Amino acid sequence: MSTTTAPAPGASQEDLARLDEHWGERPSIRSWFSTVDHKRIGRRYLVTASLFFVLAGISALAMRTQLARPESNLLSPQEYNQLFTMHGTAMIFLFSTPMLFGFGNYLVPLMIGSRDMAFPKLNALGYWVFLFAGLFMWASLPFGAAPNAGWFAYVPLTDDVNTPGLHMDVYALGLLFLGIATTAGSINFIVTALKLRAPGMSLNRVPLFVWAIVVTAFMVIFALPALNLDNAMLFLDRRFDTHFFDPDAAGNVLLWQHLFWIFGHPDVYIIVMPALGIVSAVLPAFTRRGVVGYVLVVLAIVSIAIISFGVWVHHMFATGLPHLSYSFFSAASTVITIPSGIQIFAWLATMVLGRLVVRVPLLFLIGFIVTFVLGGFTGAMFALTAFDQQVTDSYFVVAHFHYVLIGGAVFPILAAIYYWLPKITGRMYHEGLGRWAFALVFTGMQVTFFPMHLYGLFGMPRRVYTYRSEPGWDVWNLVSTIGSYVLAAGLLLVLIGVVHAIRRGRPAPPDPWGGDTLEWATDSPPKPYNFPVLPQVHSLHPTWDEASRASMGDDATADRTLTDGRRTLLTSELDGRRERVVEMPEASLQPLLLALALLVFFTALLFAWYPVALAALLAGAVTIAVWLWPPRRPEEELGVVS
Amino acid sequence: MRAPDLAAATTTEALTTELPVGRSTGWWGMVMFVATEATLFSCLLGSYFYLRFQHGGEWPPGGIEQPKLLRPLVMTAILLPSSLPMIWAERGIRRGRRWRLRIGLAATLLLGASFLALQGTEYDELLHEFTITTNAYGSLFFVITGFHGLHVLVGLAMVSWLLAASLRGGSFGARRHDRVRNAAIYWHFVDLVWAAILFTIYLSPRL
Amino acid sequence: MSAQPGPRTRLAGGLLLWYAVLGGAIAWAVHLFVAWGVDELTCAGGSDRIGAVPLRLVVALAVVLPALATAGALLAAAFAWRRTARTRPDGIAEGALGRTRLLALVGLWSNVLFLTIIVLGGVALLVFPPCQR
Ligand code: HEM
Ligand SMILES: [Cu+2]
Repeated sequence: MSTTTAPAPGASQEDLARLDEHWGERPSIRSWFSTVDHKRIGRRYLVTASLFFVLAGISALAMRTQLARPESNLLSPQEYNQLFTMHGTAMIFLFSTPMLFGFGNYLVPLMIGSRDMAFPKLNALGYWVFLFAGLFMWASLPFGAAPNAGWFAYVPLTDDVNTPGLHMDVYALGLLFLGIATTAGSINFIVTALKLRAPGMSLNRVPLFVWAIVVTAFMVIFALPALNLDNAMLFLDRRFDTHFFDPDAAGNVLLWQHLFWIFGHPDVYIIVMPALGIVSAVLPAFTRRGVVGYVLVVLAIVSIAIISFGVWVHHMFATGLPHLSYSFFSAASTVITIPSGIQIFAWLATMVLGRLVVRVPLLFLIGFIVTFVLGGFTGAMFALTAFDQQVTDSYFVVAHFHYVLIGGAVFPILAAIYYWLPKITGRMYHEGLGRWAFALVFTGMQVTFFPMHLYGLFGMPRRVYTYRSEPGWDVWNLVSTIGSYVLAAGLLLVLIGVVHAIRRGRPAPPDPWGGDTLEWATDSPPKPYNFPVLPQVHSLHPTWDEASRASMGDDATADRTLTDGRRTLLTSELDGRRERVVEMPEASLQPLLLALALLVFFTALLFAWYPVALAALLAGAVTIAVWLWPPRRPEEELGVVS
Repeated sequence: MRAPDLAAATTTEALTTELPVGRSTGWWGMVMFVATEATLFSCLLGSYFYLRFQHGGEWPPGGIEQPKLLRPLVMTAILLPSSLPMIWAERGIRRGRRWRLRIGLAATLLLGASFLALQGTEYDELLHEFTITTNAYGSLFFVITGFHGLHVLVGLAMVSWLLAASLRGGSFGARRHDRVRNAAIYWHFVDLVWAAILFTIYLSPRL
Repeated sequence: MSAQPGPRTRLAGGLLLWYAVLGGAIAWAVHLFVAWGVDELTCAGGSDRIGAVPLRLVVALAVVLPALATAGALLAAAFAWRRTARTRPDGIAEGALGRTRLLALVGLWSNVLFLTIIVLGGVALLVFPPCQR
């Protein structure tokens, strides 16, 4: 059974050779920089986001080491400020979303049975911009110029009087730069999922993971502009003396908060939603059945996304709205818990009704449910206004959002790493090592963050670089610090497990888990063209159904093999009816060039070299003009009359 | 709708009609891009109203005069109709008429450029009275109109680029006009945003 | 029955389905924006009337009209779902039918959610005077 090729490909040897010729890339330095293959780009996203996770994690360990004892002076207050700000900013912007977009990049085309993303070059651009923006922000830390006013950067603390220096310019410009990558990636996901699904994949047969990614992408499209505008105004206020946030000149500091949370609340779901999609994708393989209530889960995904835009005011209890207008928002905040609950119950029902196969990915899913539900519970406590005002800005809040974010994003991501590792690398991981990693990560997480609830309730404020010895504080802080080292050890074991699998792992069969989605119907790792024959989809679980499988084997047809050129199929938006064959772009250096031009642009803005910035912008515009320049074609083919 | 129509529209055949359908990837890409840009402008104009109403007192504040109306109205009369030659050009190339594409694009280019020139003269006058650093109103005024002007400039770059490609020949025809359509969508969007800006900045303080 | 509907009827049918799916969401967005905006701005101006009209009435309209629109979408969704769940005319691809049923069901439940939100806001209107802080 453990062969390394897909079962009985319906394409002949000549077909495969021709596909290889059009899609294959000879390994060379140039191809490393010019590739547009979504699988290579997806892998890069995963590796780069993990790198930023390690940097943010090391920052966290430094903070925890400082806080292990009262009045220790390992870190100066200035250093501590930069560390917690970079930790929070990087975890939110440079790790969670890019990591999940990395899985999306690798998996969405495979899951929908396509040969690449809709805009492969834009995809490459998105990756390079993400990489450069991340490096741009982290590079400020060694110079002591990193952002230092918390990840939500409230004015007036962040204006040029209260925070002089480059710190917040790095923040504003870095996030604007990164925004280009996130927006480009989101547009790409939406269009890919609308137009490139395999024939027969009508909306009711789209995998839940793809739903989650696409809905997240829509949220990015409508939420990110608020953050971008906010950062642009902050930069203008700091650098060019505008007065958006200046109350002495008809400005208003609350404008920052409003715009930030119009983005920030949906962003919590932007982070968590694709992770929940991972849960729905991994569960079927380890319960041997589809997720219970497919329609309800789709409903939950869509309605959470929409409602999350209507609840931003709950982050600002202190702003004095009339009760009546406040209640319009709290109605939304209350009702949004219903679809969230639906998802949890759908997964629990799946586990109860299915036959559990306990492997490492499932363990992480269980860890996710436990941790996430605890985080949701403390979140519900904030709904009591009196309680909220008691614990605001204490470690209780830090405990709460780490339960939500580590539970809701990190655990599913770890499950995903183990689940798709065989597909991505073609190698199996070591089960025992994985279980140890799970045990350490789970224990470490609880030991680090549970005590924070306690010393938060005892009154310890967040964002302090040290504290006086107080009853209840010292012991529990030490416990937290020990826990964070256990957690770090667990994460190190995950890394060792991945390296071990790549070096020593058994070769993985195409479908080691008996998964239900299309990525399991092709080689591990997939060939550059993904599928020798594009599938014809007949159900929600194509890999479990005979007709869909046969469409790639015995029932293969030439109009789904498409061997003359780099080609894939376009299908209709809702019903997935076959529309036409399209040519996909070749590898190119233009995305890298454009990203470099943008890097120069933002760096020049940071250091106020405005002529250089202008030149970089022009270089970027020229690159785009060349990139999109229409190819010359004979008049008959164009259809020219006069 | 009349009753028999309603009955017909609620049959299974009608309800299962696929809508939207048959768009290209480029079309969707441009529409999504415009959607995110439209959100950006909504936030920008929303910020204008937020600051204005939170300020409470006289608006514009700090003794700045009400914006004059004549020039912006002329600018509107130039920019909004500039969508028409664009539509005409796009319809033309769909039927393979290259000359219509060229003439239409050139007309749009001319109108858009005159809009920018007028905006230049407006800035020239206003900058004597107040600047981006005078107060939040000055910041809003110049950032909103300037950001829109930048969009017009980008739109004009697209139009000139299309014009250059179409003058070369061998670029567009009845079967290849995706790029024309996408640039047209962007241009219409930039026009519409101007209408919203006209209302917000120039008309609403007089209400 | 098996006569193929014309293009305009098809357009109407397709639009009706989208109303069933998105009507509640859009109505809620309008409700939130108008009710909140009007309440906030009028109260900030220190009055509880807009011209001659009491603020309460305006806010009530911003609750009731969207609620009616949502209820309409709910009905349309229920109807579309029953149609596609019961009848199986031939000549319609299975994908199209299944997809319509999915959209109708999602619309059905999401309209229930949005109606709940709007109605909860309406209850608050009965409890609080519009400008109480
Ligand atoms: C890997 C283990 C982690 C540890 C040991 C850790 C520890 C910490 C510590 C000590 C703080 C600073 C508290 C303060 O001084 O106020 C903090 C803040 C924060 N963490 Fe983590 N964290 C971890 C993972 C994460 C993850 C995975 C995320 C998000 C996905 C995250 C997001 C944040 C955010 C947003 C802040 C707030 C920063 C601010 O106050 O501006 N953390 N964390
Ligand atoms: Cu929130």
